[in-house]
Amino acid sequence: MENIVEYLKAERSQEWRNEIRKSIKTKLRLEKVRVEMSEEDPNIRNTNNIEVNTGLSIEEALLEAQRCIDCPTPTCMTGCPVGINIPKFIKKIETNDILGAAAVLKDTNGLPAVCGRVCPQEKQCEAECFYTIKLNKPPVAIGHLERFAADYEQNSGQIAVPEVAKPNKIKVGVVGSGPAGLAVSGDLAKYGYDVTVFEALHEIGGVLKYGIPEFRLPNSVVDVEINSLKQMGVKFRTNFIVGKTASFDDLKKDGYQAFFVGSGAGLPRFMNIPGENYNGIFSSNEYLTRVNLMNAADPDYDTPVISGKYVAVIGGGNTAMDSVRTAKRLGAKRSMIIYRRSEEEMPARVEEIKHAKEEGIEFMNLHNPLEYYADKDGRVNSMKVQKMELGEPDSSGRRRPIPIEGSEFIVEVDTVVVSVGVSPNPIVPAALPKLEITDWGTIVVDKDTMQSTTIPEIFAGGDIVRGGATVILAMGDGRKAAAGMHKYIQEKIKAN
Amino acid sequence: MADLTTKYLGHTLRNPIVIGSSGITDTIEKLVDLAKNGAGAVVLKSLFEEQILLEADHKLKQAEKNDLIYSDFSETMDYIDDHVKEKELNTYIELIKEAKQKIDIPVIASINAVTSSEWTGFAKKLEDAGADALELNIFVMPFSFDKDCNENENTYYSIIKKIKEVVGIPVAVKISPYFANLGTVVKGIEEAGADAIVMFNKFSSPDIDIDKQKITHADVFSQPNDIFNSLRWISLSANRLNIDLAASTGIHDGEAVIKQLLAGATITQVATTIYKNGPEKINEMLNFIHNWMDEKGHNYIDQFRGKLSSSASENPEVFERVQFMRYFSEIN
Repeated sequence: MENIVEYLKAERSQEWRNEIRKSIKTKLRLEKVRVEMSEEDPNIRNTNNIEVNTGLSIEEALLEAQRCIDCPTPTCMTGCPVGINIPKFIKKIETNDILGAAAVLKDTNGLPAVCGRVCPQEKQCEAECFYTIKLNKPPVAIGHLERFAADYEQNSGQIAVPEVAKPNKIKVGVVGSGPAGLAVSGDLAKYGYDVTVFEALHEIGGVLKYGIPEFRLPNSVVDVEINSLKQMGVKFRTNFIVGKTASFDDLKKDGYQAFFVGSGAGLPRFMNIPGENYNGIFSSNEYLTRVNLMNAADPDYDTPVISGKYVAVIGGGNTAMDSVRTAKRLGAKRSMIIYRRSEEEMPARVEEIKHAKEEGIEFMNLHNPLEYYADKDGRVNSMKVQKMELGEPDSSGRRRPIPIEGSEFIVEVDTVVVSVGVSPNPIVPAALPKLEITDWGTIVVDKDTMQSTTIPEIFAGGDIVRGGATVILAMGDGRKAAAGMHKYIQEKIKAN
Repeated sequence: MADLTTKYLGHTLRNPIVIGSSGITDTIEKLVDLAKNGAGAVVLKSLFEEQILLEADHKLKQAEKNDLIYSDFSETMDYIDDHVKEKELNTYIELIKEAKQKIDIPVIASINAVTSSEWTGFAKKLEDAGADALELNIFVMPFSFDKDCNENENTYYSIIKKIKEVVGIPVAVKISPYFANLGTVVKGIEEAGADAIVMFNKFSSPDIDIDKQKITHADVFSQPNDIFNSLRWISLSANRLNIDLAASTGIHDGEAVIKQLLAGATITQVATTIYKNGPEKINEMLNFIHNWMDEKGHNYIDQFRGKLSSSASENPEVFERVQFMRYFSEIN
């Protein structure tokens, strides 16, 4: 830690930093008002897939960068799971060296354009910003600036591909191409390893592609980041399920020395209430994957999702918001969130809830589904919901919902998306009986090296370890695991 | 040898000793042992809504301790009680399925319901899993300062009606004695569609440790003296209701079983004595009943069931008072 403090101090003392800091008095910086990112018109964007947030213009970015006072102790960094040098990249923007800012981001974060869009900055870096904790003012828009720098680089045509060490011809396998898998493979490639990422689906990107809709995270943004990895020598094999297509033993025989498991939490959960198996009732995973990856919004496609006119999405998390807003875009007349607690307890990001409301999403908070009904063809046509009230808080601090007797009523629906959580993907744990797993089905690892506690050549991170994580946490795991795998392999080589 | 067969909840039991819902009916091994030792039927340990919520709380605390598991923005944690409920229910369903394969006495599933909304779906699943009947252990807190009697009682009726709407198997209702007028409640339960009433629940009660000045739990086991309240109400209800009556709490030996049958019970539920003495106690109790019936010349139970019920009296209150006055006048 001391080294990091010293390093940051040295960085902050550089001539260019001193100059830019002195260029505007701190008092004036503090008086500036936070720049808000503009958004597409809600009544237009809810009919198409264009990205909701339009990004900052260069003028806006420069103005916002001036708000950062370049604190001697940058508390914002303590809120970042991958330790981005936040003041440095912001000051690079202020000097109009945007590509330099992007390079700072990429030192520790392989997917800045993604994180700039989907990280919950309000609970991470921005929650620890000087403005938030000392002045009770809106924080520096770190997330917006991150996205600005990353997009600028992507659009500049001068995308820097990180340097990689001389190939060491040691094969390592990465299971899953989500944010954890992409992060670990980037770092392993930098160390010189021969990295192959095995992806079960036909598209690379994991939850970034199948889970997060285009209007929040365009696939093209993810593809740019994936291309960088390809240029670094990372190989990708799609439609390949490790544990089914080939076993870990098969891969070991092929020369793989270690594996990173980032297979995510793709097993949907349901509520176990009557009628949940009727046609027209989806898990959010299935619904979003069909729309995002399988062109299901196109009725002429092989596997369409019927565009529901009366869509209920059960749950209050980000996935629920993604599902309900997708339904609206597919033409739903009524697109409803049915959530059993109040808005205050909703796990979704405040921004997502705000966007959903602007787009005409109805919120039936303090309601819970009891039963689904279907027509003669077994297709859902209505559901019984019950009103709830809030009782005492449970261990998570959220107030427990309590049903109000006799408050049940019927709601007409033709599509229901159940978004009440996911479980870790069970395929890898099932393929490796010696792997220690928790009651939750997550893989138990050493939290510093991300190495399995029972099988030394297995490392893991992301949702398969955390149950549910943010993109940046998964990436942080991937980076730690890459260092852990490198150490493990090098020690093994030395021992032989 | 006397015939002990008894009809309860539409099933013919080989004898009237049913093992009550408790920790001795929660695994397949224990159930097999109970059946082997002569139990007439088993009521599986209840699925408790509150217990499931506590388990969910425990899981959340565990997740918080494991700092790798992330709970912000996660629907999983938000619905953890539902997921725990699902897991518990699936375990329970497996127990029913296994019990139906491995034992040949009726298997009665038991759920502890505090609301009428959530448990109807569960009840249907228990029926589908093969349960021969359902026992609803309804426990609405009887000491709320805000709810009046009618509100409490209507919750009972509502739960029963909703469950009866969704299941075809017989439904027994286990109640506490804490009602302003138990007689009308018992009638109301019958009218709501219950096929049997089990009298009564054994609650865990608070106690106080005066040295540590802390609230503790009182002994959860019943005592032989606990039989008298259920004996009274079985006696009062027998022949006044057209549904089965199960006596519970304080039945520790064959003599207690016979008392309840004489009062009018269809069957008796035992638990504490099996906890303390093991499943072999069932055989001992059955032998006692056989010997008593032989001695009294009874060939089958219906010959003496309800013989000493209070149904002969038109006004049970008078009957009760008369017993009371006679008792104390004899003492004096």
